[in-house]
Amino acid sequence: MELLSVVSALLLLCCLLSLVRLAVDRWLCRRCYLLDYVCYKPSDDRKLPTDRCREVIMRNPRLRLPDYKFLLKIVVNSGISEETYGPRSIIVGRREERPSLADCHEEVDDCAFATLDQLFRRTGVPPSRVDLLVVNVSMFAPAPSLAARIINRYGMRDDVKSFNLAGMGCSASPVAVDLVSNVFRSRKGMLAVVFTSESIAPNWYSGSDRSMMLGNCLFRSGGCSFMLTNDASLSRRAKMRLNCLVRTHIGADDEAYDCAIQKEDDVGRVGFHLGKNLPKAAVLAFTENMQRLAPKVLPIGELALHAVRVIRHRLLKAAATNSKEPGNHERMVNFKTGVEHFCLHTGGAAVIDAVGRGLGLTKHDVEPARMTLHRWGNTSASSLWYVLGYMEAKKRLRKKERVLMISFGAGFKCNSCVWEVLRDLDGGGGVWEDCIHRYPPQTLVNPFLEKFGWVNEE
Amino acid sequence: MPSSSSSEPLPEFLSSVKLKYVELGYRYVMSKLVTLVLFPVMVVLLLETLKLDPSEVVSLWRRAQGISAVNTLAAVFLLVLVATAYFMSRPRPIFLVDFACFLPAPSCRVPFATYIEHARLVPFFDEKTVRFQLRILERSGLGEETCLPPDNRYIPPRNSLKASRAEAELVIFSALDQLIGKTGLKPKDVDILVVNCSLFSPTPSLSDMVVNKYKLRSNVLSFNLSGMGCSAGLISIDLARDLLQAHPNSYALVVSTEIITPNYYIGKERSMLLPNCLFRMGAAAVLLSNRRRDRSRAKYRLLHVVRTHRGADDPAYRCVHEDEDDDGNSGIRLSKDLMAIAGEALRANIMTVGPLVLPVTEQLRFLASLVGRRLITAGAVARPGWKPYVPDFMRAFEHFCIHAGGRAVIDELQRSLRLSSEHVEASRMALHRFGNTSSSSLWYELGYIEAKGRMHRGDRVWMIGFGSGFKCNSAVWRCLRSVATPVEGPWAECIHRYPVDIPEVVKLL
Repeated sequence: MELLSVVSALLLLCCLLSLVRLAVDRWLCRRCYLLDYVCYKPSDDRKLPTDRCREVIMRNPRLRLPDYKFLLKIVVNSGISEETYGPRSIIVGRREERPSLADCHEEVDDCAFATLDQLFRRTGVPPSRVDLLVVNVSMFAPAPSLAARIINRYGMRDDVKSFNLAGMGCSASPVAVDLVSNVFRSRKGMLAVVFTSESIAPNWYSGSDRSMMLGNCLFRSGGCSFMLTNDASLSRRAKMRLNCLVRTHIGADDEAYDCAIQKEDDVGRVGFHLGKNLPKAAVLAFTENMQRLAPKVLPIGELALHAVRVIRHRLLKAAATNSKEPGNHERMVNFKTGVEHFCLHTGGAAVIDAVGRGLGLTKHDVEPARMTLHRWGNTSASSLWYVLGYMEAKKRLRKKERVLMISFGAGFKCNSCVWEVLRDLDGGGGVWEDCIHRYPPQTLVNPFLEKFGWVNEE
Repeated sequence: MPSSSSSEPLPEFLSSVKLKYVELGYRYVMSKLVTLVLFPVMVVLLLETLKLDPSEVVSLWRRAQGISAVNTLAAVFLLVLVATAYFMSRPRPIFLVDFACFLPAPSCRVPFATYIEHARLVPFFDEKTVRFQLRILERSGLGEETCLPPDNRYIPPRNSLKASRAEAELVIFSALDQLIGKTGLKPKDVDILVVNCSLFSPTPSLSDMVVNKYKLRSNVLSFNLSGMGCSAGLISIDLARDLLQAHPNSYALVVSTEIITPNYYIGKERSMLLPNCLFRMGAAAVLLSNRRRDRSRAKYRLLHVVRTHRGADDPAYRCVHEDEDDDGNSGIRLSKDLMAIAGEALRANIMTVGPLVLPVTEQLRFLASLVGRRLITAGAVARPGWKPYVPDFMRAFEHFCIHAGGRAVIDELQRSLRLSSEHVEASRMALHRFGNTSSSSLWYELGYIEAKGRMHRGDRVWMIGFGSGFKCNSAVWRCLRSVATPVEGPWAECIHRYPVDIPEVVKLL
């Protein structure tokens, strides 16, 4: 009967060990590591200096002088430099009103294949090792999907899980990361590749509605491919680890839903309408997102302190009858106690400044975002990665520091995620390599301000 | 047993199989190894205990009584702990609470005569092209009650963004309203939303449109998939499943549709005219849950989702492709080897699904046949008499929902899988009544089986979808409760007329 007791004890031990192993695996699966990322640098023949912008604008026969002035004013005051890039077919003026499918594919292919080739080369991971592929290009979704196109080009396995997101706007990078981190929980040892970009050529607006021409002026070509994994054995090579992710969608509010929407103008031309309610929707979504994010990233001390501050402020307000002092404004919670670096979506100079003010950031904190807007323009969902690239090139990212990524997008959404840096990043081989020494420049003012400065008068 | 005729189903079925698929089967066996090992150990223990004399049993009992209460309590506690931990560690079951399909209004009907008349009146088609479309319709397997969106029927068809959004709102909101009515779902309870529509993706997306209309919560996890073809419904289910595994106590809403309005092809190229003839309006909304209390009211439980992507192979990637013809008109081009490629994709998919669902005897027979053939060919002795064994999938499933892509697809699959006409009846009738509704077709077929009162508790359903890429995706469901014949739904008004006999060729003119 000793045999009996020994066998039972052994079985129990086996059960316990397998349960422990299961628990450890589950815990490991939750981890999401960023192995590497590659941003896209288009060829120099695609640069869009102000002169060329002017040429492109003048090509539209439907515009009148006030419209030219309006557009040039936007371009000159946008905080965008002479070095940003546009789609080839628009620059040469090839079928702007109805771009061919081949041109649209070429625009995305250039970006996808260049960044993915480099990503696979840098990480040394073969495409056949990829288990999960997520592609996010908001405004171009052909059939077969762009995900299928990438699978075809790189010969990925037939059990690869692919997802092609579309229509998710400028804040889709955190959405893609959210998708990947959720799928990671189902299995350990997975490797994911995400490609995010925007397609400008098929969405070029050729009408005269001002709210729709803004998109033409502000969006620029760009994209990024990055590799994520939950494989613990690859974590030593990883750059960052995902701490938390918060998604906020205020589409339930009709005004917020309609403030950034693709629609037809009065004569039936399709364009991307940016409404006057956009800043208000952005503020609402941003506030809600930060409220949900704060408890996840801030230390208890700061949260408690902020609670005390709020209570004190409210009590003072209630107690004050005819106060002679100027009104005490409620102080924002200090995010810098929980996060060291801020990747802000480069939606525009106004957006960056507003978010910076909201978070109580200094010029140094918003510098990466302003410089990215200057060098690359608004590259939509991939802008966060260019900002990260700037920080890495400036050697700002040290081990154990945290990076907060915030982006806004049509819908209306505000998505944010916090990464923890796993090792000192020396910034080698990024898109900023050849120009980082010129940043930050002495002035961000457009050199053509003098030439076109007359647009600012009146 | 396989027939000895030269044109046997899946002729290259096993010759194209790589050994890695056998490895897959072995991996599943290994994952169940603990159970397989425990079983004989238990048997041995039982035999040992039975061999004991009564006196030895009594002495054992005395010894057991001698053990202190604390020890016994500790042992019992440990056992309970282990058992609880074990049950909690298992993947959460995913339930399908209910689903609803869009029923188009009769005013949207497009009988063949209407279709041909419209094709003659629009300025794009010459008589030859019209006659070609007529021939397709005659052989398509579609009936006279399929529906197109109202804007498609204008002369010329209206394909503006506004019209496309209008169709999307009509079909999606209709299906969702029905689903909410059936399940009593409160929109504020929805945690996950996945919408898929292949050929129409505005910004903000259709998922944002749903969030806006139904006022979903601000922390809803919404995803919008596009360009993924007719099998995207199962891709959405796969995504919803992964999200539900990561989030306990949640509801996931999956909406599958295809918007026809912006995709009317106005050129003359024959390989691009088929979608005009076959694609029809439709949408489906599905409510998934991982809440344990929904087990009693849920209809199905999701057992497996298997995805296969043949995109790495160039012909497979190109066989369904959006293209521009010589005049610059865009449309979906279908290649001539679509059937062959679909067959290949299905084979690859079956290799993974088979080990998960086939009864052990079928798997052993298949494995033996495979190994035997390998040994024979390795021995370089040609044995033409050794026919490959095709597993009998009718022993694994009671119902089949095959994507109603077209008559040819259903015929091919019936032949390959050796299914009876009753098994493919749901697919054929859905194609007849609703046309090819793309990713939502599988749900119309499931609705047919329910409307016919054939769905009983314990039945297993195999959903197979094909789509551009080229993908073949499968989902396996188990019915949790016998489904009473639904009183409302797309089939309610017409189920009594089905099944109908669909001739090979319907002579129209």
